Amino acid sequence: MTATIVAQQAINGIVLGSLYVLVALGLTLIYGVLVQINFAHADFVTLGAFAAYFVMHALGGQYLLGIVAALLVGAALGWAINITVFAPLRRKGNELLPLIATIGVSVMLQNAMLAWFGPVPYAFETPYSQKVFRVAGTFFTLQSVIIIAVSATTIALLYAFMKFTFLGKALRAVAQDRETAGLMGINPNTLIMLTIVISSALAGMGGAMLAPVLVLTPFAGASVIVKAFAIVIIGGFGNVEGTILAGLLVGLIESFTTQYLDPGLIDIVVFGLLLLMLAFRPTGLISERREENV
Amino acid sequence: MTLLSAKGLHKSFGGVRAVRDISCDIPEGTVFAIIGPNGAGKSTMLNLISGVYQPESGSLTFAGQTLAGLPAYRRVRLGIARTFQKIRLFKQLSVLDNVVAGFHVHHDIPAWHYLLHGGAFRRDQARCRADAMELLAFVGLAARREALAGSLSYGEQRMLEFARALATKPKLLLIDEPAAGLNAAEVDSLLDRILTTRKQGVTVVVVEHNMELVMNVADRILVMDYGQHLFEGAPAEVQKNPAVASAYLGGELM
Amino acid sequence: MSDAAISRAVHPWWASRRLGFLAAALVIAALPMMLTGNYWQTNLTICAINVLLALGLDFILGYAGQLNLGQSAFYGLGAYVSTLLITRLGVPFWAAFAAGVAFAGLAGMILATFAVRLRGHYLAIASLGFAVITYQILLNWINLTQGPLGIYAIPPPPAITIPGLPAISFRNPVALFYLVAGVTLLVYFILDQLVRSPIGETLTAIREDEVSAASLGINTALWKVFAFGVGAAVGGAAGCFYATFVGTLVPDAFFITESFTILAMVIVGGMGTLIGPVFGAVLLTLLPEVLRGVGDLRLMVYGAVLTLVVLFMPGGLVQAARVVGARLGLSR
Repeated sequence: MTATIVAQQAINGIVLGSLYVLVALGLTLIYGVLVQINFAHADFVTLGAFAAYFVMHALGGQYLLGIVAALLVGAALGWAINITVFAPLRRKGNELLPLIATIGVSVMLQNAMLAWFGPVPYAFETPYSQKVFRVAGTFFTLQSVIIIAVSATTIALLYAFMKFTFLGKALRAVAQDRETAGLMGINPNTLIMLTIVISSALAGMGGAMLAPVLVLTPFAGASVIVKAFAIVIIGGFGNVEGTILAGLLVGLIESFTTQYLDPGLIDIVVFGLLLLMLAFRPTGLISERREENV
Repeated sequence: MTLLSAKGLHKSFGGVRAVRDISCDIPEGTVFAIIGPNGAGKSTMLNLISGVYQPESGSLTFAGQTLAGLPAYRRVRLGIARTFQKIRLFKQLSVLDNVVAGFHVHHDIPAWHYLLHGGAFRRDQARCRADAMELLAFVGLAARREALAGSLSYGEQRMLEFARALATKPKLLLIDEPAAGLNAAEVDSLLDRILTTRKQGVTVVVVEHNMELVMNVADRILVMDYGQHLFEGAPAEVQKNPAVASAYLGGELM
Repeated sequence: MSDAAISRAVHPWWASRRLGFLAAALVIAALPMMLTGNYWQTNLTICAINVLLALGLDFILGYAGQLNLGQSAFYGLGAYVSTLLITRLGVPFWAAFAAGVAFAGLAGMILATFAVRLRGHYLAIASLGFAVITYQILLNWINLTQGPLGIYAIPPPPAITIPGLPAISFRNPVALFYLVAGVTLLVYFILDQLVRSPIGETLTAIREDEVSAASLGINTALWKVFAFGVGAAVGGAAGCFYATFVGTLVPDAFFITESFTILAMVIVGGMGTLIGPVFGAVLLTLLPEVLRGVGDLRLMVYGAVLTLVVLFMPGGLVQAARVVGARLGLSR
């Protein structure tokens, strides 16, 4: 009995965790090349979810098309925030201003969505939410299987892209040293744009898959993003492997806290862990120590 | 008398050994130059002395006191000041305010004065500003005191950084690549100020890859190559040394 | 020019600090007489509380250069600690006020001690995390805070009796406004003195370049903790006043969006100056009230204004005023 509960919570935790990874990976990629945080990432998640919802309903239950729509909406939003906020502010060279500007964008988008879509949660039922499998006392929906499959595929593709393609290598070069990338003959601005578009597409897609699991309101992304921030720090900012590990860890913490403690304590446990990490291991789970060059 | 003594310093970054077993004694009241080709570990030496890095092994003794484990800000109180290879000024502050910030360790008025700005406070403020103006006059920037530091020319920024370091009233002044980015006239002017500073009793360590530049100012030169001690001696000895010549062969100034 | 002449040119008579404080005191005294009625008097006190919040954040963000997204938490801690001491333990108001301020300041210092090795963005996220934890604790520690049900009937500060004069009761909203605005003016004076002392020089040096600051003997960790302590304590004071002014406390008043609102006030006014955030707070408090039609979209307006100011006028109202002043030939 207990073993079944543990197994069940482990499954729930991994489903949730792989979604968090999708959202957090975007943040960490942007941080890697730009050393900036896009606070509006949360709202790209929400807008992706709404895009998927409306496309699915317009097309009579084509959830997978909804995911594609969310991906495209996310990419478009990423492009937009780069040309309106990140690119102009990069020239000013202040490290805090872009973050503050995206906080403004986030507050604006959230409340625009609130005005547009209202505060009442949308029931995001996909054709796969009802199909339930039972294996050895545990049960999971086809929706969860899709979430894990799509997340794992995306993460694997992204990983392969970063490791094996020229562009991916260039991205990592920019993340380490902007001048080196210039030597490779690549315009860093193009790479930054590419990174933000990819990251935001991941956010949109993450939204389309999160919404059926959580409740879809204008604040859906905001509730996820604070955990994504925690994940990114626990994993080590800019560190892809660390982010994946931390994402799954937070997913598991969340499901087990719900089972054995109290759902109200989730944020406290997650952020308690975050503050402990900051105090004792600020470079993240998998650390690559870098000393500042003066 | 030796002001600063280094014994067997080691420091590496991610497997690259930047400084290997360096020892040297820097006599008080001299200009001591550390030279070497790019990547020789000169700047790392300077960062070890100023406390930005801690060595993996070896020891540093300053005026008879060990520097082990002391962070950079504590070493300033002992009398170690520095400038940076890549100039690091407070760009959004005025020229005067940059120098005034250098007096941080020399305000000795009771803390409550910061709240109520009494007579002692005003005297302290006036003294700092007068001293700062004196330093600005010394480096030829008095007329630009209200300008933002970021708006100065490159040469002026180097001079300002020099003045700001002097504001901490150092016994030992570390200067990282003073000539980088300066024209010949600016270099001469800076070297002249360095010699004046030494005459006032400040020991100066100059890190420089341009050997010719330090020949005329340095009393003693340490030559580094690939993090290692290559040669140490007076300028004339350094010039004659074949090992130094071969390290510099292939384009660097000689 | 002699030094005195330069000093006169830099500080003309109309920019004199003493006259400024006198004028501010007169404006504070006159406001409740000009803007009568419950509606305005409520808004005036809210304005004063928001000014206090913005001043606290500005000391941390504008002077020490540390992005603190946890101001809502310090605000909430000040409110709950003082209120619980008053309602549960019967502690006298001013003692509870002092405890609330001290608790918030201490929390700020502890957070900064944890996060002090981190720079820029890490600190922003750590402080955001602190705000989330604090909110969740206020919401979930029901035995102590009554959670979402809230605490009701919080009494106003006790009346002040001065021999020979009628007692001043803070049940009178005008008296309460004078109290809050008076404390705000005092806080402004204290912060103004601090930032014009070597402490201000030290904090701005850290804001501009930490490595450089350390090379001048500045213990950057210590001074960041100091800045957080002061800024958080001021936020805590605002919380104490909020609780006693509104009379009820629910955790939602201290949700993380409150941090963003305060941030908008500081940025819109002009961070790194003290006068800017005062006007930023007043403007953003009254703006939605003036634009009644978009009342529901208050936060949307804040978000838009925040982004636009950062993009086009990062020095806020103060920068705008300087630009206008230069056009009119008023400035040096």
